[in-house]
Amino acid sequence: MSVAVRRLQDVGRAGLARCDRAANALYGWRYNPLYHSGALAVGCFIVLSVTGLYLLLFYRIGSPYESVAGITGQTWTGRWIRSLHRYVSDLAIVAVLIHAVRMAVQNRAWGPRSLAWISGIVLLGAFLVCGWTGYVMVWDVQAQLLAAEGARLFDLLPLFSEPIGRTFVGERAIPSAFFFLNLFAHIAIPVGILLILWIHVSRLARTYLMPPKRLFWGMVAAFTAASVVWPVGMDPEAELLRLPEAYSLDVFYNAWVPLSRDLPPALSWSFVAALLALALAVPWLTRAPASGATASYVNPRFCTGCEQCYHDCPYEAISMVRRDDGRDGFVGLVDPAKCVSCGICAGSCAPMGVGPPGRTGRDQLVGAREFLARATPSPDDIVVLGCENAAAGRVAEDMPGVHVLPVSCAGSLHTSVIELLIRAGVGGVVVATCPPRDCWNREGVSWLEERVYNEREAELKDRVDRRRLRIVYAAQAERDQLRAELDRFRAQVRALGRALGERGFDVGTACDPPPVSVAEEVGS
Amino acid sequence: MSVARRLASTAVSAVVVLAIAGLSRLPWTDADRDGALVRLSWRLAGVAIEECRTLSPEELDALPAHMRRPEVCTGSTAAYALTVDVDGRRLLGDTVRGAGARRDRPLYVLYDVPVAPGAHDVRVGFEAILPPGVEPEDRPLSFGWADRVELESGQIALITLDDAGTRLLRAVGAAGGQGGLPGAGLR
Repeated sequence: MSVAVRRLQDVGRAGLARCDRAANALYGWRYNPLYHSGALAVGCFIVLSVTGLYLLLFYRIGSPYESVAGITGQTWTGRWIRSLHRYVSDLAIVAVLIHAVRMAVQNRAWGPRSLAWISGIVLLGAFLVCGWTGYVMVWDVQAQLLAAEGARLFDLLPLFSEPIGRTFVGERAIPSAFFFLNLFAHIAIPVGILLILWIHVSRLARTYLMPPKRLFWGMVAAFTAASVVWPVGMDPEAELLRLPEAYSLDVFYNAWVPLSRDLPPALSWSFVAALLALALAVPWLTRAPASGATASYVNPRFCTGCEQCYHDCPYEAISMVRRDDGRDGFVGLVDPAKCVSCGICAGSCAPMGVGPPGRTGRDQLVGAREFLARATPSPDDIVVLGCENAAAGRVAEDMPGVHVLPVSCAGSLHTSVIELLIRAGVGGVVVATCPPRDCWNREGVSWLEERVYNEREAELKDRVDRRRLRIVYAAQAERDQLRAELDRFRAQVRALGRALGERGFDVGTACDPPPVSVAEEVGS
Repeated sequence: MSVARRLASTAVSAVVVLAIAGLSRLPWTDADRDGALVRLSWRLAGVAIEECRTLSPEELDALPAHMRRPEVCTGSTAAYALTVDVDGRRLLGDTVRGAGARRDRPLYVLYDVPVAPGAHDVRVGFEAILPPGVEPEDRPLSFGWADRVELESGQIALITLDDAGTRLLRAVGAAGGQGGLPGAGLR
């Protein structure tokens, strides 16, 4: 990755972090719409499908403008449903763009995630084209502009035997077949969107497609209210022998029209091609250096076939295969083409036999021991196990009695590291993570909490004093919140008295078998 | 959630929703709204030009047996010179060629000539450019149209061919409905 791209990502990440902090303060991390941008776009798609079905009942290809005017004239239903359809389609574009920016600046678009990125670009394109057909359906002056300009651009491509631009010159009436084809496209493209969406999330385990109910219904309620209070009106009907003069422009879908009209079609296409090339190059521009972010590896010597890494991997990169080393059962196998090197498997493996090179549980324990020897935290001190993507890394330097041990992702943190620190006698351990919906590796925070509090493998052992442990959500820009939490936690830890360190203890590496194993599934 | 935070989040949500609704219907006025257009749009089969030559025995031998024809012909459509003069000033001069990669398809004319609103003397010329030696076919090789055109701001004067493809006309009518010309006629 070049220095310029990295710098651009840093700037974008800093801006996004500030927006996240503001949205967290307003809505709380659970309902922060910026964290749910992808799911919000899917929510918009559902609203568009429902409202679109209603509009379809009244739309007539033989009299497009009059039928839309008729819908708009339905004071109690059609007017606000049409407006909701339009506003939510705009929100969908906003949500998709936020989602794309988030993935790009957080470096989540390269390697195995390239498929999601590229299919996401196709999804955005499909949304825009679908919007184009939707606006043409109305056949007002904006539709006239879109049709004429679209035809002008497409006539440059050797696709049609006759220039389609002649359809819109006003020489003869536009046939109903045109509006039928347009309507067909407006319905068929969303079906295609579903297919592309399936590809988009195909490499994710436990796909999260819908936003939280409160956020979804809040969004629907807010835009319904806007549709009732400020409904969309009707622009003048298209007149092909008149130049469109004043009209209402949808900036989200049609901002390109006034820009493109004054340019030669070849130049307009050049801009489109350049923009598309840039978008498609993001996975290549933001890729990690060859030396970094290597895929996880299962050490078959340690693997007991417990399947926990297989269940926990957020990207379905691990499969269980029959052992070929003379032992019975299965062994984990990582598919490097799917592994994003998040390291969550490292936190899932009790025997510490899996993880990216240098970040397995064993490596983490070595690092923690070196840290204890180097930092020598006192029994009153707090050790922050800080997710590199969260606020922690920048906090501790100026806080006395606080030491930071960075981890690549809280979900990759092996609970044995927490056990080691607490049993070694530090005053308390804070795991500072991103809010769950902001986890760059999707499920890291969820699995961490399950391992610490709900005995998910590799669980934090009962012998560890949980009063000396705190998990704190602090997004990248929420340093003040983290400091306040640290102060509160330190006061609680002090009230417990000085921590008593143990010597010569061993952290357990046993792994319980899952309730239903792959072997049983295969057998049945 | 505190009351203040609830109020703040509601207010911010309202602003965002209204901003999206507002940008969804941004009032827009085209800069060239004071202009008018003379639009030329027609399709013409054009004059077919066929060039034939006899293949030499060597060329014939080089071909597979089933493809040996003594004479091969390539067809194309003659190019036409298009001119538009407004008030005696040439605003458009171009050569229109047949469509298709081999230029053997009909000619499609689609041009917009911007003019100021008001009355103008408009003269359109469309004339076949025949290579030497090509015999003119039994069809018109030259088209012309000239008239005084009164155009309001934003109005388009559409010049087209009649249905028989023999003369240029100005299409007039109340362009409405779904963009068609109810009651449209030719003048």
